[in-house]
Amino acid sequence: MIAFENVSVSFDATEALSCVNLQVAEGVLCALVGPSGSGKSTLMKLVNRLVEPSAGRVLVRGADVAGQDPARLRRSIGYVMQSTGLFPHRTVAANIGTVPRLLGWDSSRIATRVADLLELVQLDPDLAQRLPGALSGGQAQRVGLARALAADPDILLMDEPFGAVDPITRRDLRAELRRIHAGTGKTILLVTHDPEEALELASQVVVLRDGAVVADGAPAALVAEDAPEFARTLLGGGQPGLRRLSLLPAEVARDACPAPADAPALPEGATLADALSRMAETGRDVLALGKGSLRLEAVLARGR
Amino acid sequence: MMALLLAAGLALVALLPGWFGGFPPGRLLGLAASHAGLALAGVVPAALLGLALGVLVTRPSGRALRPAADALAAAAQAVPPVVAVALAVPAFGFGWGPTILALLLYGIMPVLRATVAALEAVPPEARLAALALGYTPAGALREVELPLAWPLVLDGLRVALVLAVATAAVGALAGAATLGTPIVLGLQNQNQLLVLQGAAATAALAFAAEGLLLALAGYGAGRGRRSSASPASSDGTAQSRKP
Ligand SMILES: Nc1ncnc2c1ncn2[C@@H]1O[C@H](COP(=O)(O)OP(=O)(O)OP(=O)(O)O)[C@@H](O)[C@H]1O
Ligand SMILES: [Mg+2]
Repeated sequence: MIAFENVSVSFDATEALSCVNLQVAEGVLCALVGPSGSGKSTLMKLVNRLVEPSAGRVLVRGADVAGQDPARLRRSIGYVMQSTGLFPHRTVAANIGTVPRLLGWDSSRIATRVADLLELVQLDPDLAQRLPGALSGGQAQRVGLARALAADPDILLMDEPFGAVDPITRRDLRAELRRIHAGTGKTILLVTHDPEEALELASQVVVLRDGAVVADGAPAALVAEDAPEFARTLLGGGQPGLRRLSLLPAEVARDACPAPADAPALPEGATLADALSRMAETGRDVLALGKGSLRLEAVLARGR
Repeated sequence: MMALLLAAGLALVALLPGWFGGFPPGRLLGLAASHAGLALAGVVPAALLGLALGVLVTRPSGRALRPAADALAAAAQAVPPVVAVALAVPAFGFGWGPTILALLLYGIMPVLRATVAALEAVPPEARLAALALGYTPAGALREVELPLAWPLVLDGLRVALVLAVATAAVGALAGAATLGTPIVLGLQNQNQLLVLQGAAATAALAFAAEGLLLALAGYGAGRGRRSSASPASSDGTAQSRKP
């Protein structure tokens, strides 16, 4: 769906990306992580031609973007900016309806779509006629998300979309993104500085450092013991072992034989980290999980 | 509407002496009309040119022209209007021609400066968002940059208009019928009353022009308050939003 082939980008003297090879398959939510200045935004902007490669090629839906009309390409790809980038002179409704208007939808279709989107991102319909200046940070980011989704693009680029909001709003927005991704199967590139967010939302995590890809894989693989040290440190939050357990469902270590009658129970959908926590607080090394059981050794065996 | 009140007061000062042996009010009104026409004939092309140049030098493709345009505009304003009119007489003959040229040179600078400053003050993320969502560069200019820049551009237009009305009086030296005519007559005949009438009438017209433009702008702002009120407020919230 999106492929980077030997892509380099230089701005004047600085080389922002050097020889990047990367594939993101259709329907995947891919998180880009890395220190400030490592080239995350640049990599993302290659997809909709806001940045041009100085070498290599970028393929979107199987076609080289270099041959495509930038305006048409961009209308077909949703883009959420870190600073929201809402148009200050346009109402929330007009902001959200930007791309449909550019695509020539008629006004009643746009109005219906805007109403649907306000509901999708859980914004009060009364906000539709407000100007962006009169929104809270969290509301503005929701409007930015709705604007990117307006023409139902199959690809969504999100550059630190939940950067400037409080942790609670952030958790809500994250849940919404997960819901939208699960419901629509869009291909999503997400830049984030929050390792937890990357590991929790993404099925593919790409770690960038000084313009190069240093790790690319499933979240649990990048905090495993054999993962590159830089990725482990960046994503592990000081406890990569626990991080990894928190990414694995408890079912993977389940034993079919039933637990002792007095064993504490673990709820459905719990992770191995939840299991370890439950064991720590009850002092028991075996838990009941559904009809089977979960033993400490089995949990620890999965940690590596 | 302070400006319009001042204009009315000054108009009274200009017209009243007419009934006591000064310049006749009827002729003064005729001169005022031709004065206004002359000022508009100079300021309208100046405004269009200033706007076009301002847009041009803020485009990526026209950025190289920026120093040249700045220098041109500064030079145009450094020449005193009297000199500009005098220099243009040999080329254009007497009458409106040289005056319009002087007004044109004078009007470009404030509009050009204001347009450049206003376009540069457009939040870069709004411009980037416009391109990222799929506006063509021309579309982004029309739909996002110019609406956001408009209040500041309007300020430049106001300055240019008032300057043009005041400067058009100089046209009398080149034989154009303007409110400068009674001033020139008064100076030649040592008649202070005529000088006072001409000066007061010119000032009245300048204030009236400013008042009318402000009223128009107020009407525009009432319809599209968003464009003038929100850049400031969105800046404020953007700042408070930073973690
Ligand atoms: N338009 C530009 N002109 C010149 N240099 C640029 C430009 N855009 C990015 N760079 C440089 O390219 C490098 C990568 O920048 P990029 O914005 O991709 O980093 P990032 O990983 O997104 O960082 P952050 O986490 O701070 O957003 C940096 O060194 C930056 O200074
Ligand atoms: Mg960035």
